[in-house]
Amino acid sequence: MNVLFEMRRRCAARGLAALTAGFACALLMANGATAAALFQLPPITDSPSAEHHPGKVIWADLVTPDLAGAERFYGGLFGWTFQDIRVGNSIYAVATLGGHPIAGIFQKPIPAGEHRQPAWLTFIAVRSVEEARTEALAHGAKSLAPPKTYAGRGAQAVFTDPEGAVFAVLASSSGDSADYLAAPGEWIWSSLLTDDPSRSAAFYRVVFGYELFDLPSDDGAQHIILASDDYARAGIHTLPPGHHHPHWINFVRVADASRSAAQAVALGGRVLVEAHPDRHGGQVVVVADPTGAPVGLMEWSDQYTKDEAELK
Amino acid sequence: MRFKPPRWKSVLIAGASLAVVAACAVGGYDGYAGGDGYVGGYYEPCCYDYGGWGGRYRVGPPRGGVAHGGGHPALGGHPGGGGRAAPSIPSRSRR
Repeated sequence: MNVLFEMRRRCAARGLAALTAGFACALLMANGATAAALFQLPPITDSPSAEHHPGKVIWADLVTPDLAGAERFYGGLFGWTFQDIRVGNSIYAVATLGGHPIAGIFQKPIPAGEHRQPAWLTFIAVRSVEEARTEALAHGAKSLAPPKTYAGRGAQAVFTDPEGAVFAVLASSSGDSADYLAAPGEWIWSSLLTDDPSRSAAFYRVVFGYELFDLPSDDGAQHIILASDDYARAGIHTLPPGHHHPHWINFVRVADASRSAAQAVALGGRVLVEAHPDRHGGQVVVVADPTGAPVGLMEWSDQYTKDEAELK
Repeated sequence: MRFKPPRWKSVLIAGASLAVVAACAVGGYDGYAGGDGYVGGYYEPCCYDYGGWGGRYRVGPPRGGVAHGGGHPALGGHPGGGGRAAPSIPSRSRR
């Protein structure tokens, strides 16, 4: 009788343990590194391809408390149109230009009592989010959001780099967009402004496999180009005096930066950095949208002029 | 005779389950709220200051053919940049 009792007791205890383990596993799978979302996001390319360009900036997301206001501003400034998608308890709008997906705008309230800055999040292409995550965490990054897979789009995750700048990685399931010159209204360039460009460059090189190029400068700042596939993908620059928070900023190609800046102001934004010539010869401006999110405007002529050569 | 598991084991199992639930429910880091189901919505710490960009502060890409400065510590041992000019952005038009 005692033997029978002991066997039944052990079986019951094992059953409870198995139940608990199963419950825990289910929760971890739902929240863990390879979690799949319940909703679908459209692909980032207008037609699927087998092209992959690790290291290329392939997407940007704006988080804002005012989706309608953001759509008015960016639609008016760049001619973007929007498709709103319900995402959980919120709305995610996909911006397109000429039928090409450009960006996402995610509406989320700013947490009560917190002073937060609406901002654009820069997505860099990877082949494997898990591998990128492993490298990033091993070299000083912190995870802000674990990898998550969205049907149609692919897997993505969010990190801060060792200097504290926020960035995201995306393994696009529809491939990466081809290497074309951005048209007006499309993203043309991305810059990381940071305290220690050398340290940041070493981090991004190891995670994304970039080639690095120092650029000559006469402004006392360090400027490093991140390149892959023999194309410049982004720049890393010493934070200008007075800046305290390392961050990425993305630039949209415009035909006339001064005119676009005036248009941004008319749409409720403000100018953060006045128009001035950059090293490629075109004008660069930084504006803030009505909620304060910074976005760069950059001219880029198709023709390489003598004036540009002198600015090198 | 009906079997009842020892009470301490029940407490242990319930505690472990609660710990797992709590660990899973805690979302994000420093302003990121993962509970809305979308990875990407992140508010930066407030607030940026964009003063200090002098007229010579240039953040754009080079046109092709800009020689790199060389000797960068982060370039050590890497084949890239070894005397080659910095590349530019793609120049091919989509249309």
